[in-house]
Amino acid sequence: MTQPLLQTTAVAKAFGPVVALRAVDLSVAPGEVHALLGANGAGKSTLVKILTGVLRHDSGTVAVNGQPVLLHSPTEARARGLAPVYQDPALIRDLTVTQNLRLTGVDPADVRRELAAMDLDGLDLDEQVRDLPLPFLRMLDLARALVFDPQLLMLDEITAALPPDLSERVFAIMNRWKQRNRSVLFISHRLAEVREHCDMCTVLRDGRDVASFHPGEGGEAQIVATMLGEASAGVRDVARERKAARERPEEEAPRLVVRDLLINREDAGVSFEVEAGEVLGLAALEGQGQDRLFEILSGNVRAAGGEILVDGQPMAARHPYDAIRRGVVLVPSNRLMALLPQRPIRENIAVPLFNRVPRWGPINAGRERRQVSEAVDRLSIDTRAAAQARRLSGGNQQKLTIGRWLAAGFRTLLLFDPTRGIDVGTKHQIYDLVRELADGGAAIVMFTSELREIGLVCDRAAVLHNGAIVAELPPTASENDLLTAAHGLEVTAV
Amino acid sequence: MTATPRAEVATPLPRPSSRLERFVRRQGWVVGVALLLGILVLWRSSQIPAFGAFEVRGIVAGTMTLALLAMAQTVIVISGGIDLSVGAMMVLTNCIAARLMLEQDLGPVFLVAVLCVVVAMILSGLIGTIAVVSGVPDIVVTLAASFILAGLALIVLDGPGGGTNLRFQELLVGGFDQPLPATLWLAGIFLLVWVPFKRSRLGIATYAVGSDRAAAFLSGLNVGRTRIVAYVMGGFFSGLAGVVTTAFTGSGEPRASIGATATLTSVAAVVLGGVNLMGGSGTLLGPVLAAFCLALIPPLMLGLGWDPNYAEVSRGVIIIVVVMIGGLLQIPRRSR
Repeated sequence: MTQPLLQTTAVAKAFGPVVALRAVDLSVAPGEVHALLGANGAGKSTLVKILTGVLRHDSGTVAVNGQPVLLHSPTEARARGLAPVYQDPALIRDLTVTQNLRLTGVDPADVRRELAAMDLDGLDLDEQVRDLPLPFLRMLDLARALVFDPQLLMLDEITAALPPDLSERVFAIMNRWKQRNRSVLFISHRLAEVREHCDMCTVLRDGRDVASFHPGEGGEAQIVATMLGEASAGVRDVARERKAARERPEEEAPRLVVRDLLINREDAGVSFEVEAGEVLGLAALEGQGQDRLFEILSGNVRAAGGEILVDGQPMAARHPYDAIRRGVVLVPSNRLMALLPQRPIRENIAVPLFNRVPRWGPINAGRERRQVSEAVDRLSIDTRAAAQARRLSGGNQQKLTIGRWLAAGFRTLLLFDPTRGIDVGTKHQIYDLVRELADGGAAIVMFTSELREIGLVCDRAAVLHNGAIVAELPPTASENDLLTAAHGLEVTAV
Repeated sequence: MTATPRAEVATPLPRPSSRLERFVRRQGWVVGVALLLGILVLWRSSQIPAFGAFEVRGIVAGTMTLALLAMAQTVIVISGGIDLSVGAMMVLTNCIAARLMLEQDLGPVFLVAVLCVVVAMILSGLIGTIAVVSGVPDIVVTLAASFILAGLALIVLDGPGGGTNLRFQELLVGGFDQPLPATLWLAGIFLLVWVPFKRSRLGIATYAVGSDRAAAFLSGLNVGRTRIVAYVMGGFFSGLAGVVTTAFTGSGEPRASIGATATLTSVAAVVLGGVNLMGGSGTLLGPVLAAFCLALIPPLMLGLGWDPNYAEVSRGVIIIVVVMIGGLLQIPRRSR
């Protein structure tokens, strides 16, 4: 057997009393695209940070090409041929791209060359980072990492924020690296990508590596089962169970009606209806106005025109408070935007409740505690880090953002990409929860960047393109049809 | 399950913005403050029939200290900190300078001036190091430091006193009606210290650290060292402010209240000058122009025949109104 390019042996790391990594053995061969999988909180990001010199491990060894190394800084890691693209772009918003490159001692001309290879040479490097859309920042980060010509390229959930065509370019680079006998460590929650593009995968669970195998073997079910261990029971391939269509009395209006809503003044307008008990899936490419549509529906931004009817009555929300009072609540994709990161779980769940308690005088602590613990139990939120919401893992934070509304009550739920960056097990818990809420009579609009979720969770799919709904498809529509429609093209065979 | 389908249509590249758009977006605030200053100067000159070298010298030399303190505050704020001890540092160097410069020749006086600036840089660097190493918020460390520096000033000079060399005064702040020296000094510091600094890797690092410490660290920067360097730069400017005070007043004045007021005015100039108090963005020119705006208000009030006590009120009103207008203008950008 050839010598592995990267070999970690019994690497362990603890943050105070919280153990992030117990003992991880990871071996990446040269010319291998290696996937690192695991539920949220399994230790993937901690491992990447150790491999890039951001954190130092407490025990165990890291060896590159057989040489044990101690990495003290990102610069040192790069010198050893380990270059990362982190989950959040490591670009400074207030600087231009060129200034950012100079900081890391990268020649902008080299980056331009890499961008040209990715067919992105139209990017203006003198723009400030804050003025560029996120997907292109990820690509820039990738181009910068490539300039160092690393032996091991580490991609931490790079595809989570990328539209399909840019993801394809990332895969092309992974392939190129492989052909040059260099390696890639690929972290993604999208198992389809892992199966298609990775040669090996290592699954982490509870800070240990539990298995390494070829991801093509056994299929998605095996990967999920390995990731979750005992907890895998109850994960289904399809969360949606068609129930008999609920009888709606003729006189009852649909829960939410959107008519000719203009996201931007020049758009054609968005129209759709959602009934109680229904999950409407919204599919769209990056930047088709979905972010703003959700902000308008939740009362955060005003539309340029058109109307919104809630229970048959027009809603002119000037503030999220108005929408919430009409029972329309939003779970945004940026979880920390919805939460109070420094405050405990209990307060986070209770905050929307405060709208309903008398304005003056002390809050009834007993009732509050009861409602909060009901929500926590129902969502099985891991309460070990109960004191501060920001210390929860991504999946638990997402549950918390939904849990807030469970305790406070709602009638229409707007979910914006609710499973972005969440592990498969938690994803399935959220799918189940969404179905359960719909069966309980809620109307749900869910935007998702993962098209397969439409088939898994939704009753109906609407496709948004350029500020207008261009198609309504049944949930059984193939991903290919959804994607075709999302590009504004006619779907021929439905 | 099918494989991920290949996308036929490419995600469009963001539209590059034009030079003009970019200039307005990045320098718009400074241009705005410059316009405000222009209006205030015109107004002031219309109040005095013979607006000439004497008045210009008065404005430039009288504002030089505040402009330097605004520079000190700006560098530190851009790096993500805030320094509540710049005023006290100015008072301390003023006292040291006045005590040592008394009845000296020009040569030794210049040596003392350099010494004072170096002392301020060391002290400020020390304060920055404490803030960085201890992890205590900058605002707490520098507030505490301001008390220590104010006390030291009283130890150096227990009452108004000291003195300096007349020729030194003329060279630094100009004589009776000579505005050139003060203007040249300010312009020189800006061009020879700030412009090269801003273009250097260290300067970019200062902005980077103020904008996003985590991302700066991931870019391989030494965050702590960069922040300390910003404090040393701040010390350079506030030390200079103390030396200029000595030249302008010809004496030393250890009263702590002077330092406290100066510190707060420097923060006001930073805000009015368009520097983000959270760090990471802004220029040095904006706060300097803002310092002149703030300094012009009391004489304007006097010219209008108003009670000069209203000057403080109107300074506050101007800061709120300008920052509010600026905030409103920036909303479209944020919502993009």
